[in-house]
Amino acid sequence: MATRRTFLKLAGAAGLAAPSLASAQGAARVVVVGGGFGGATAARTLKQLDPKLGVTLVEPNPIYTACPFSNSVLANLREMSQQQFRYDGIKAAGVTVAETSATAIDALARTVTLADGTQLSWDRLVLSPGIDFDWGAIPGYDEAAAQKMPHAWKAGAQTVLLRQQLQDMRDGGLVVMSSPPNPFRCPPGPYERASLIAYWLSIWKPKSKLLLLDSKDAFSKQRLFQDGWAQLYPGTIEWVPLSKGGKVTSVDPATLTLTTEFGSHKADVANVIPPQKAGAIAAKARVADRTGWCPVEPVAFESTLQRGIHVLGDAAIMGAMPKSAFAANAQAKVCAAAIVELLAGRAPQQPLLINTCYSLLAADYGISIAGVYRPDKGLLADIPGAGGVSPLSAVGGLRGQEALYASSWFRTITAETFG
Amino acid sequence: MGRLLLPALALAFLSGGPAQAADAPPNGPPGASSCTGCHAPMKVTDSVIPRIAGRKSADIVTAMREYRSDAWPSSVMGRIAKGFDDQQTEAIAAWFAVQPE
Repeated sequence: MATRRTFLKLAGAAGLAAPSLASAQGAARVVVVGGGFGGATAARTLKQLDPKLGVTLVEPNPIYTACPFSNSVLANLREMSQQQFRYDGIKAAGVTVAETSATAIDALARTVTLADGTQLSWDRLVLSPGIDFDWGAIPGYDEAAAQKMPHAWKAGAQTVLLRQQLQDMRDGGLVVMSSPPNPFRCPPGPYERASLIAYWLSIWKPKSKLLLLDSKDAFSKQRLFQDGWAQLYPGTIEWVPLSKGGKVTSVDPATLTLTTEFGSHKADVANVIPPQKAGAIAAKARVADRTGWCPVEPVAFESTLQRGIHVLGDAAIMGAMPKSAFAANAQAKVCAAAIVELLAGRAPQQPLLINTCYSLLAADYGISIAGVYRPDKGLLADIPGAGGVSPLSAVGGLRGQEALYASSWFRTITAETFG
Repeated sequence: MGRLLLPALALAFLSGGPAQAADAPPNGPPGASSCTGCHAPMKVTDSVIPRIAGRKSADIVTAMREYRSDAWPSSVMGRIAKGFDDQQTEAIAAWFAVQPE
C-alpha cells in the first residue's frame, strides 16, 4: 500500500495521469470520494469482495458525524458523541484513506486531483458526496445566516448550535422550521425533527409552540406524523402547507424573521432547511444535470453523463428510492459488487434493493416506511404491492417496538459501515 | 495429480481470489446485500433485530412466506417480504445459510 501511495504521489508530482502504468501493476484501482454511509460502505465492500483491488477513500473529515438520529441529539435523547464514527475500521479493512478533499475530476484521463495536489488514477470512480445547499434559493439565507438560523441538515456543529438555541429559548417561545421542496435528504426528517423538538418542549418549555412552514402540500408518513402530533403534542405543532402559505420566500437573520407569500413570522428559534443539490464535486465531475442531481443507470449506478463514474446515495437520482442512509448503504453494496463484475469483464446482475426509514415521534414512539426496488425503464422503481408505512392504528405496543428497531438499525448500519 | 492441480490453482489465483462459480455473484443474489442494513453480518451489541447469517435456509424461507402472507404479525418484514417471490426468497435464504454465523 505504501508503495502504491508513493507511486501515486510521484505520478502526481510529475503530472502523470499514468493509468497504463497502474494497469501494468495488475490490480485495478477504485477511488471513492465521500466517506458517508454510501462511500464508506462502497470502499469497504469493494475491498472485502476483491482484496486485490486498490481502494482509496477520499474524505477530509477524520470523524464522520451521522445525520440519522441527530434529531434525537436536539431533543437531548442522545449525546453528539454517539453520532460520531472514525475510519479506523475502514483502514483496517485495507482501504487507503486520503484525509483530504477532491478538487477536480477528469473523466477522460480517469484521474482525481486532491486538495494537496496529489493526483489519483482510477479504473472506476465512485462519488458519494451527499448534499450541498442551494444557497441563495431563499433570499437572505446564506452561510452566514445559517449561524443565526441553523439548518442542522448536515449533522455536527449545526446540530449543537440548534440544540443550544432551543435550550436558551424562553418558555412560551416560538420555534419556526422551514421544510424544503422535493427532492431533499431524508424526506421524513423535518417531520421527525418537529416531533422531537415538540417532545423536548413538552418537558422543558411546555408553553412554547412550533410552526412548520412547508414548501410542499404533502410529506412522507404524513398521516402517521399528524395522528401522532395530535395524540402526543396537541396544539403544539402547526403545519403550514404550500397551498396555505408555507413556502418561505425570504428570511432576515438579524430579526429571525421568515417571510412567506402570506405573511411574516418572527421566531425565537428558526431552523431553515434549505433547498438542496448534489455535493459540489458532482458538478465539477460533470455528473450533475440541470436539476443539480446526478442521473445514473439503475444496475451499477454508473453516471449516464460520464462513463466510469458511479454516483451513490443522496447525490444521485435513484427513481423511487429516497435519499436515506439506509438507501445509500444498500446502493453502495450493490455498486461495489457491480464494479467487481465490470472490472472482471462480466455483466453485473439485475439488483433488488430495500429501503427502510424509521422516524421517532418520542423516545418510545417509532414509525417506519419501507420499499423494495428493481430497475425498470432506466430507473429504480417500486415493486408493486411491497413496501409502505406502519399501520395507522397501532396494536400490541407496535410504536414502542418500532422505536427499538430504529435504534437497533442505527447500531447495525453504523457497525456495518464504519465498525 | 499435483501437476494438474498447480495450474488450476494458479488460474484461480489470477482470475480473482476465492473461487466463485460464474453464476454466484460476489455479494449474494439480488436483494441479499440490502438485508444486512438491519440484520447485521457481525455481532452487534444491544440490537433486538435477529441475525440471519448461518440460519437454516428452510427457516428463512418459512419466515419470509409467513410474513409475506401476513400469517405472522410483523412491523416491517411483511412490507419487505412482499417484494420477493419464492425463487428470489429461496436464493437469498440459501446465501445467508452459508454465511458465517
